Amino acid sequence: MRLLLLLLVAALAQLALPSVRVWAPLAACRPLLLVTVAAARTLTPLGAAWVGLGVGLLIDLLTDQAVGPGGIGGALAGLAVSVTARRFELTGPLFWIVGVVVAVLTTEIVATVVLFSLGGSLGHGWRGSVATLATTGAVALVVAAAERAWLAWQSPTRRRRRMLNRL
Amino acid sequence: MVRLRPRADVSLLLTCLALYVASAAQIRAVRGSALTTGLFALWSPVPKLAASVVEVWDNWVVGRHDLDTTLERYAALRLEVARLREANQVLASDVLALRQGSALLAGFPSLVDRSTVARVITRDVLVSHTMRLDRGRLDGIRLDSPVLGEHGVLGRVDQLADRSCRVQLLSHPSAAAAARLVDLAGEGLLLGGDRPNITGLPPYLEVPVGALVLTTGSEGIYPPGLLLGETGEARTEGLFTVVPVRLAARPTEALVVLVLAPESAGAR
Repeated sequence: MRLLLLLLVAALAQLALPSVRVWAPLAACRPLLLVTVAAARTLTPLGAAWVGLGVGLLIDLLTDQAVGPGGIGGALAGLAVSVTARRFELTGPLFWIVGVVVAVLTTEIVATVVLFSLGGSLGHGWRGSVATLATTGAVALVVAAAERAWLAWQSPTRRRRRMLNRL
Repeated sequence: MVRLRPRADVSLLLTCLALYVASAAQIRAVRGSALTTGLFALWSPVPKLAASVVEVWDNWVVGRHDLDTTLERYAALRLEVARLREANQVLASDVLALRQGSALLAGFPSLVDRSTVARVITRDVLVSHTMRLDRGRLDGIRLDSPVLGEHGVLGRVDQLADRSCRVQLLSHPSAAAAARLVDLAGEGLLLGGDRPNITGLPPYLEVPVGALVLTTGSEGIYPPGLLLGETGEARTEGLFTVVPVRLAARPTEALVVLVLAPESAGAR
């Protein structure tokens, strides 16, 4: 359910970020990839890959690209993020940062390879990839900070401290 | 019946393969494949709707901002207009007063040396028949100083403060001034009131209507030769001819007046 909510919010953000009222570099951001990263935490690697595939297809649709390369890249990204997070036992902010970096790099590389193998090319150069990495990473940082703050707010330690203060 | 239940990893692989083929079809097809056309037909309303929503939202935000800015500007401009109108009124009043003062000084050049220009602060020409000026004892004004308007004598100072004074107008019931008629011998006494008139003239005196009435100075307050008003139709009452007078000075129009030094040496 949370994943679905996150997917909805991310899709809306993906639609809103290219708006002219938003700072132009943020148009390169792919907030939907955060859904893939989030799925890698709770689902199995294969499940994360399926989620990544769906998210990749959605990104392809939302960004007016050929439908397919993003899906393949997303599937591999979900798999890669899940495996990486399990192998290195990533948690907290590090999970988000590394997860997003892996997801973005995998998606970009796979999409490039797929399109190259079909005689096409990505719509952007390496600068676009760097911009995607930077802006999506920045959003991941925000998400990580928000999660940290939320956990701190909900922590049992804080509850105990508040109860002791009331006594 | 055989039920096909592929493993999840194989399904994923097959799906990716299918996507690869679909991608190839999309990239190779110059005008777009059936898949892209179909997907585009299915998907195109969504971005359009989203774009419309964003546009509407954007217009609403911008419009709201513009409305707020416009309203603020409108309020500021209204305040500015009110301030300017007030300043304009003050300036117009000042200009009028300056014109009157200038006309006064030009009209009585021989009296300029011994006179003070004063502004009218308040006036009551119907009940108390007085007006208050913004000059007083500290400005050299003395009791019984004659006060001149643009068209003639207005009255005399009857109350004095440091920075203001009160003028008793000629229309006051107790006001009086020694007067004579132009081209006629004899002297009378101009008495104030609602209907000022000259009395003390010889009986059956032929007085033309509209003759000028001037001060003689015999009462010791007003300098001689100042215009008091014009005569009306004369009549004889008892031993004297009574001549109604239409006063020349109009206190209602006076914004600036000339206050002369008093004639009598004993003035305080």
